[in-house]
Amino acid sequence: MLAKTGIVRLDELLKGGIPLKSNVLVYAPPFIGREIILKRFALSGLEEGDDIIFVLTDKSFKDMSEEMKKLDEKFSEYESQGRIRYIDVYSTGVELQETGEWVTFVDSPINRERIASSIIQLIKKEGKRYRLVFDSLSTLIVYSDAKAVFRFLQVLSGMCKRSNVTSMFSMTRGMHEEIEVQTIKHLMDGVIEMREEGARFQLRVQGCGEVISRHWIDYLLEGEEIRLTGAFRMGRVA
Amino acid sequence: MIETGIPKLDEYLEGIPPGKSLVFSVEPGVEESDVGIHVLHHNLEKGKRGIYVVSESSPKNVVRKFADFNWDVKRYENLTIVDGYSSLVGAPTEEKYVVEEPHDIRSYEDALLEILEKNGGQEGVIVFDSLSNLLDMCGEREALEGIERINKDAGSFGFATIYNFIAWPYKEALLYRIKRTFNSIIEINMVEDVATRQRLTIKKIDWNNNEGKKFDFKIFKPEGIRVYIPKISVIGPYQSGKTTFIKAMARNFTPVERMGATVGVEHATVDYKGYRAEIFGIPGQERFLPLLDKLGASSMGVFLVVDSTKPHEFEYAKRMLERFGEIPFVVVANKQDLPGALRKEEVKARMGVQEDVVESVATTGQGVYEAFERMVEKILEWLNAR
Repeated sequence: MLAKTGIVRLDELLKGGIPLKSNVLVYAPPFIGREIILKRFALSGLEEGDDIIFVLTDKSFKDMSEEMKKLDEKFSEYESQGRIRYIDVYSTGVELQETGEWVTFVDSPINRERIASSIIQLIKKEGKRYRLVFDSLSTLIVYSDAKAVFRFLQVLSGMCKRSNVTSMFSMTRGMHEEIEVQTIKHLMDGVIEMREEGARFQLRVQGCGEVISRHWIDYLLEGEEIRLTGAFRMGRVA
Repeated sequence: MIETGIPKLDEYLEGIPPGKSLVFSVEPGVEESDVGIHVLHHNLEKGKRGIYVVSESSPKNVVRKFADFNWDVKRYENLTIVDGYSSLVGAPTEEKYVVEEPHDIRSYEDALLEILEKNGGQEGVIVFDSLSNLLDMCGEREALEGIERINKDAGSFGFATIYNFIAWPYKEALLYRIKRTFNSIIEINMVEDVATRQRLTIKKIDWNNNEGKKFDFKIFKPEGIRVYIPKISVIGPYQSGKTTFIKAMARNFTPVERMGATVGVEHATVDYKGYRAEIFGIPGQERFLPLLDKLGASSMGVFLVVDSTKPHEFEYAKRMLERFGEIPFVVVANKQDLPGALRKEEVKARMGVQEDVVESVATTGQGVYEAFERMVEKILEWLNAR
């Protein structure tokens, strides 16, 4: 069973999507489309009937909600059905006086315990499928250290697997030591890595079950879309 | 002696002697795990000095944490906050005591020593919001060595130290070292069956023999910590006074009556002396007998209410009780105010039970809480024997 990423050719590359209950790291420098992958993954989950949990460390739930509404007009409806939950680890810290029906506020990215327990409270419905979008692990690592975040992820990924949660975590390329990156990758079932090579944007997939190609593939950023243009199948032209 | 203010736990700890250190070791993911703040608040209320060392969240968050339980932080002049957070995240702070080097445990020691020296001999408690964070930030070995010194200093000033610790998957060697470093380790785990709650187990205590004692609890907002029993069933023959018995104990009550007879499962919450229990009344008509197993499933205890003037129903009552198997029960010999009511000893003899018969007049509330207290005691004995 696979969870579509919502990006057509990326799903082709992944032979349909990422395996259910797996956790995938989206590892990319800023501004080259990392967020688009996370958002499309959430929207595709909503279309497939999954509930979505956003864990946000760098923006308020309100901002995320607005951005999602711009991507899909049905988002407001999903939200009012209670199918989208936010764990907002940003607003309290910067003293935004936000409130919201579907939000749990965590005061600090150091308070990993609160983040974990808030997620657990949301994934209890039996038989329900969830998608977790965690943006980003980098903030957690910057405020403590990779080993502590590793332990947190160890616990969290176990819980997610038990509760039918497919997750995407983001991490910013260029912010961390190589050893930190390897430590976190070690806990993931797959990595979607993105880079900027001269004037080209490229991505590649590590892990994630069976895929068609593990090479770097070119992609284009077009507004809020990512379009894979590189060849990964005989007969396609780059 | 320092108290925790947590019902039952204080009985098991018999007070924390100054100089002792205690860790609440919490399984990650437990909902509402911050037990330390309740210990802090209890001591502030008792007029003792409370020092709260925050490293996991902003001192401003302390106000919010207190407000969750309707406590006003400004009321407590005896509270001192040590801010180990702001320097960590580069945030401004208004606190007087700031840990300048949050990656160095000695910076914590310095701040604490200054407070203790200025304290003027008042007894108190130092509460750390996150031992795990200190280990992560200051290095495990260095942190524990520093903490040993802090515990010692605290003791010489008449303080006990309390640590919240999230038991992330640390290495065994570190967990072993933690166990050696502290005088008491109290484990908190999640229990999920009929209702989610936390189980507290005393894993280590070096000043008495209560190691291994345990009970279930839940943190309610704004009420605070309660020893929690998620299901006690009330059974008994038709018209023995079950509903009246429940009403006499309950804080809230959902009746399901028709013409004075209960026709479905009633529910009520009892809040009494730090205990909270969910009580389920099961109708007494014969036709409900086959449903007893289902309706009473996962009960932690059973009240068997009998009409003390109707000994001919005792046999049926016993049959009801037998359906629950080996779980704690209390027989409530109700309607003691009516002429001809059999007394406790007589009920015992006729029902063939050795103990645990409590006389009651549910209409006036007499004996009702005596029965409740006995029940809670038996449930805890049963839990601890398992």
